[in-house]
Amino acid sequence: MPSMKSLPVIQDEPRAPGHRSLWQSVEELEARAAVSRGEFAAGAAEVPPELSRRSFMQILGASAALGGLAACQPPREKIVPFVHEPPEDRPGKRFHYATALSFDGYATGLLVGAADGRPVKVEGNPAHPASLGASSTWEQGALLDLYDPERARGIWRKGQPLSWRGFLAEIQQLAKVHDADGGARLAFLLAPDASPTQADLLRRIQARFPKARFHAWAPITEENAAEGARIAFGRPLDARPSLDAARAILSLDADFLSGHGESLRLTREFARHREPGAGMNRLYVAEPAMSLTGANADHRFRMRGTEVASFARAVAVKLGVVPIAPALSPELALAAKAVAADLSANRGRSLVLAGARQPPAVHALAHAMNAALGNVGVTVTYSRPVLGEAAPSAASLPALAKEIQAGKVDTLVITAWNPAHAAPAGLDFGALLAKVPNAVYHSIREDETSRRCSWRVAASHPFESWGDGRSRGGVASLVQPLIAPLYESVSTIDLLASFLGQGDRGAMQHVKAYWMARSAIDPAFFEPQWERWLRQGVVPGTAEASETALVDVAAVASSLGRLSLPKGDGVELAFAPSYGLFDGRFGTNAWLQELPDPITKVSWDNAAYLSEATAKRLGVADGQVATLALGNRSVQAPLKVMPGHADDAVTLALGYGRSDGSAVSKGVGVDAYPLRDAGAWFAPGLSVKAGKGKHKFAIAQGHFGMEGRPLALDFTSEKWGHAEGGGELEHLRGMPATLQVPVDYSKQEYSWGMSVDLSRCTGCNGCVIACQEENNIATVGKEQVAKGRIMHWIRTDRYFSGPAADPETITQPVMCQQCETAPCEYVCPVNATVHSEEGLNEMVYNRCVGTRYCSNNCPYKVRRFNFLNWRPEVPNVQTLLFNPDVTVRSRGVMEKCTYCVQRIEGARIDARAGGKKIGFVQTACQQACPAEAIVFGNLNDPQSRVRKLHDDARRYDLLHELGTRPRTAYLVKIRNPNPELA
Amino acid sequence: MTPPATAAVPADPLAPMPLIAGHPSDAQLNTELLAPIFGPTPQAWKMMVGMAAMGTGLLFLGLTVTIARGIGMWGNNQPVGWAYDIINFVWWIGIGHAGTLISAILLLFQQKWRTSINRFAEAMTIFAVMQAAMFPLVHTGRPWFAIYWLFPYPSTMGVWPNFKSPLIWDVFAVSTYFTISLLFWYLGLIPDLATLRDTAKKKSQRIAYGIFALGWKGSSRHWQHYRIGYLILAGISTPLVLSVHSIVSFDFAVSLLPGWHTTIFPPYFVAGAVFGGFAMVLTLVIPARKAFRFENVITNRHLENMAKVMLVTSMIVGYGYLMENFIAWYCGNPYEAYLFFKTRPFGHYAAIYWIMLACNVLVPQTFWWKKARTNVAWLWVASILVGLGMWAERFVIIVISLSRDFLPSSWGNYAPTWVDWCIFVGTLSFFSLLFLLFLRFVPSVAVAEVKELNHEMQHEKAHAGEHA
Repeated sequence: MPSMKSLPVIQDEPRAPGHRSLWQSVEELEARAAVSRGEFAAGAAEVPPELSRRSFMQILGASAALGGLAACQPPREKIVPFVHEPPEDRPGKRFHYATALSFDGYATGLLVGAADGRPVKVEGNPAHPASLGASSTWEQGALLDLYDPERARGIWRKGQPLSWRGFLAEIQQLAKVHDADGGARLAFLLAPDASPTQADLLRRIQARFPKARFHAWAPITEENAAEGARIAFGRPLDARPSLDAARAILSLDADFLSGHGESLRLTREFARHREPGAGMNRLYVAEPAMSLTGANADHRFRMRGTEVASFARAVAVKLGVVPIAPALSPELALAAKAVAADLSANRGRSLVLAGARQPPAVHALAHAMNAALGNVGVTVTYSRPVLGEAAPSAASLPALAKEIQAGKVDTLVITAWNPAHAAPAGLDFGALLAKVPNAVYHSIREDETSRRCSWRVAASHPFESWGDGRSRGGVASLVQPLIAPLYESVSTIDLLASFLGQGDRGAMQHVKAYWMARSAIDPAFFEPQWERWLRQGVVPGTAEASETALVDVAAVASSLGRLSLPKGDGVELAFAPSYGLFDGRFGTNAWLQELPDPITKVSWDNAAYLSEATAKRLGVADGQVATLALGNRSVQAPLKVMPGHADDAVTLALGYGRSDGSAVSKGVGVDAYPLRDAGAWFAPGLSVKAGKGKHKFAIAQGHFGMEGRPLALDFTSEKWGHAEGGGELEHLRGMPATLQVPVDYSKQEYSWGMSVDLSRCTGCNGCVIACQEENNIATVGKEQVAKGRIMHWIRTDRYFSGPAADPETITQPVMCQQCETAPCEYVCPVNATVHSEEGLNEMVYNRCVGTRYCSNNCPYKVRRFNFLNWRPEVPNVQTLLFNPDVTVRSRGVMEKCTYCVQRIEGARIDARAGGKKIGFVQTACQQACPAEAIVFGNLNDPQSRVRKLHDDARRYDLLHELGTRPRTAYLVKIRNPNPELA
Repeated sequence: MTPPATAAVPADPLAPMPLIAGHPSDAQLNTELLAPIFGPTPQAWKMMVGMAAMGTGLLFLGLTVTIARGIGMWGNNQPVGWAYDIINFVWWIGIGHAGTLISAILLLFQQKWRTSINRFAEAMTIFAVMQAAMFPLVHTGRPWFAIYWLFPYPSTMGVWPNFKSPLIWDVFAVSTYFTISLLFWYLGLIPDLATLRDTAKKKSQRIAYGIFALGWKGSSRHWQHYRIGYLILAGISTPLVLSVHSIVSFDFAVSLLPGWHTTIFPPYFVAGAVFGGFAMVLTLVIPARKAFRFENVITNRHLENMAKVMLVTSMIVGYGYLMENFIAWYCGNPYEAYLFFKTRPFGHYAAIYWIMLACNVLVPQTFWWKKARTNVAWLWVASILVGLGMWAERFVIIVISLSRDFLPSSWGNYAPTWVDWCIFVGTLSFFSLLFLLFLRFVPSVAVAEVKELNHEMQHEKAHAGEHA
């Protein structure tokens, strides 16, 4: 090894103003800057002058394996340990790197925390417009996928392993063959991705093989939205809603608070205007099954999915957008009238959103309504589609199937997720794949598709590879790796580049070259720019400009006329993305499998949801296994009665019932794809026949009602005015009457506390997974969840009130309340749970003998017991997942929320070293929360946000009368119903 | 030698039946009462020991599985952190109460009728407490630490148990109770062990019993010390009868869970313990006196007296139930009201609640009638029903209260697993095994005390009631 200089790490780095807010301290930032500058030097053939941060890989023992693999991987970027460690770096020190994760084509900026060279925590990038610092369950869950021991590894052709060089040579060979006919027998089936570098590579591939076909495909697409824009504007445009100014929002089956690529931003904007006052927004939702958005609506109108169009039309008629009112039930007609009145009363401050499941005509109508309401440019803007060519189309798979059938495809490169599993009904795509001589499947996991393909190429995880991506709205981010690939694997960019004979150039070089060319900066000055982009996580100036677009009302009206309306009173089947697994791609992720559905609280399962009235009419019961048949296609699915579901409709979530994948995904739930036509969302004529047997669901919360107890409190905005003045909450807060002399915490420097704003919380569960990741919380599996042994430290309690057919919903995140007079503490026989001077209820795992008395005496039931050893054998690779700052608990020990005490102590260490007070500490749940519902801080600091929220008029304590004096305060939920609909 | 004379039975129908039927001599009593020890091993006894041993195997299987795999092998969950483990603990410790009550309290109150049954009752106490004492340890997640962390020992880390926790009080209460009960039982056994030593035919028996007899010679000096010691232990035991179950009730009463947080618990638990304990004595004594033909010393009058005690304690327990419900209504607390008026009578486990009421309140009401009190078959059935009822009571208190507490979001039901059943059946078997061994190897009736009573009665008779 050549001698390596110790690097001068701390250098002056120009910083953009405001940029510093990203980091916790200047030192940290500088250390990071210094380290990231040394990242993966150009050329890579010689040892770079500055060294990579990934020095700790060897300590982790992974280097041996990787060293062996290095021989068969491209001479991409070398990862070399430090000879002299920079003084800022110390074992266990957390470094955050900005990167991005693309989901369904659109990137969300992240800051991934790495400890000792391994990523251990995903956090949102505050500078990224799609994250704003928050992160969703899926981004959090990506970390578990990285360390999945069942990930695909290596390159295989017809069951034979190939070296990277061998693979490149083979592809070279193939490419030469395809050169002959211009790629006429070459096809690509691509996952949607807005990555500019990938788009550039694809353009170059197309230039080399002009006759090659490129199909972008995903089981869930937004084609209807694109088509709707085409109808309304004559060209495809992306609509970007903005809720900041919206006071009246109508969602036509649009579940914009979840699943949507911009749900984090939209949730934040929505939640910011849920506080009582003039700026409060009002949300109307028309939808079949209760969605997360529907659960947060001020008025929710349940109707079959195909009836939403009629409802939209009725609203549009009242707004004078289209003529001819459709036939509607009297209640819905009344609702449409009131909604239209409210929307027009808020001209220029209202918004109509159409969901991806709705037909193009409804999207077009929504555009027309927004235009008529003067919302364009205020609550919605239009811009050139970010995905462009890469936009997936459901029809592309049947089209490709035809080509394969006709024998026109010799080489098929698949980067799309699992087409053999998610193919539309009646299309046995798996069997067709076997007919393709060279079907190259690039995937992170072995699945139903990889079994059928002659080539299997393991994909690198996004945290292991270089790349780029664009958010909705177009803002580009660079994707930088946090760890060398754990297994021999290939990034998408490397795979595509191999068709250009550039497979061994390295993904970083491709990305860098692309951006160098695009930025048109002199190469000599490019490097600092590049590093700034890497550090910030966004490339400035890449957002799509908004365009003016005029709605062609006549085209909208005629498209509505062509819309076929539901006929008869048959049962309609609706497909829906699952909250945990989306279209199934997260099926192997135990965190997301175990995460209870936000509405039904079903874990490890999907079910055919239907309303109670429909169940009665069909003569079926909750939990019964039934045959759902559409024509001659049928599946067996357990039924679940869902409060608030539309009548005469059944909703079945996609993504379950995998026949392959891994132990986690196999056989969990019911596969809905065999019933689904390409791109279809609603199917009429469903027959439901009760079968034999009862299904045992694992339900994390079995009881839906509050039984009249003052737990999750809500007021209408009108009543709140009286309640606030009348002091209705006074008996639910403040010091309860007691004979004891209360401990005085006011003299302490720090007195930690939290507040949870129920008005803001949407129940998205982001906090649950963030907590699981931060605190090394085990998953227990379906059987144990059914037994009531789920381990989540924070849960989102969901209560229904009002009629079961059409209930109001409220969600309440509950974690340890850190009671000042904690009932758990005095009953512990061994002093394993004690109080800190700063008011934390501390859990001493080492001392716990597991009597479970603390849990019995906890009125909030937030304690979790390790009934068994939940991690009997942790595969080596999964030990990398653990947060080194948090003890991994074994069996027989009680555990619970600690207010992320490790973060407080980390901040204390930094503060002490700097001779300062602890400044800003965020708990993991707070950090992930897109709604800013959770606030944590020092109650003894009069300036702190949490202090102000504790003194808020809406503050109350959960189970106040018990005198536990919780440190977590709740703020009552305010609903904003339309008085006309009351 | 006085011939047995039925004429000795008083003609007055209101006068109690005699405590010892007939007028046996000391030698007769010796032969009669020691027969189970020196007689040939009965076939039935062998079979029963075999069955009990097999059942005990289940206990050890259950415990092994629990310790090897974890508490998760049981049905316990969130929110039901305690279930069969603590039900069994409270049930067994309650059964253990009758023994001390009969031996110590009745001794201090000079209730002569205790004499023939106190040995049974004391043995039952010790064996029941042995079952109970297992649970505070094995119900923990990490018994290998709990076994010594629950005791205050001078740890180098300066860590002490939490003296505020009722579980620590439990440890002290139960271990004290067990120690005193064992000493009390053993001390009472010494004269009889000496008798065994003296009457044994085999050398091995003479040596074995001789060791345990501690050189007892029956001198008046021995008797004087013995009497004093016995009375002192009785004096120590008496408050324990009240304290142990009061402290066990604190496990619940000190918490804030609806259904647990109840000030009436200490007296109600003590009464329940005596009630359940007497039921267990009856359950054991009735077949034993039949098998070993002890009808002469354990007469119907004994049985009738026990039935009366059960009637009284049943009514105290019934009053406890009534008060719990009254307070739940009177306090106006919605959590209490929901538990007492919805969950218990109509909830998931309503059947167990009604079994509890039927067995503990209705069944003993039959004891108002002398016919029921003297009908041995009915007494036996009733005593088993009461045992069942008391077990159901602990289920109602522990599992039902935990399953429906403050936040409906956390509600959840409990279902026992095969390991739970193994351990429960196993403790019953282990208890039976110990009891069968006791019947065979130790005088199950206090021979010396019966002889003494016999002499007293004859003396009294000779003086024609002058001593009354």
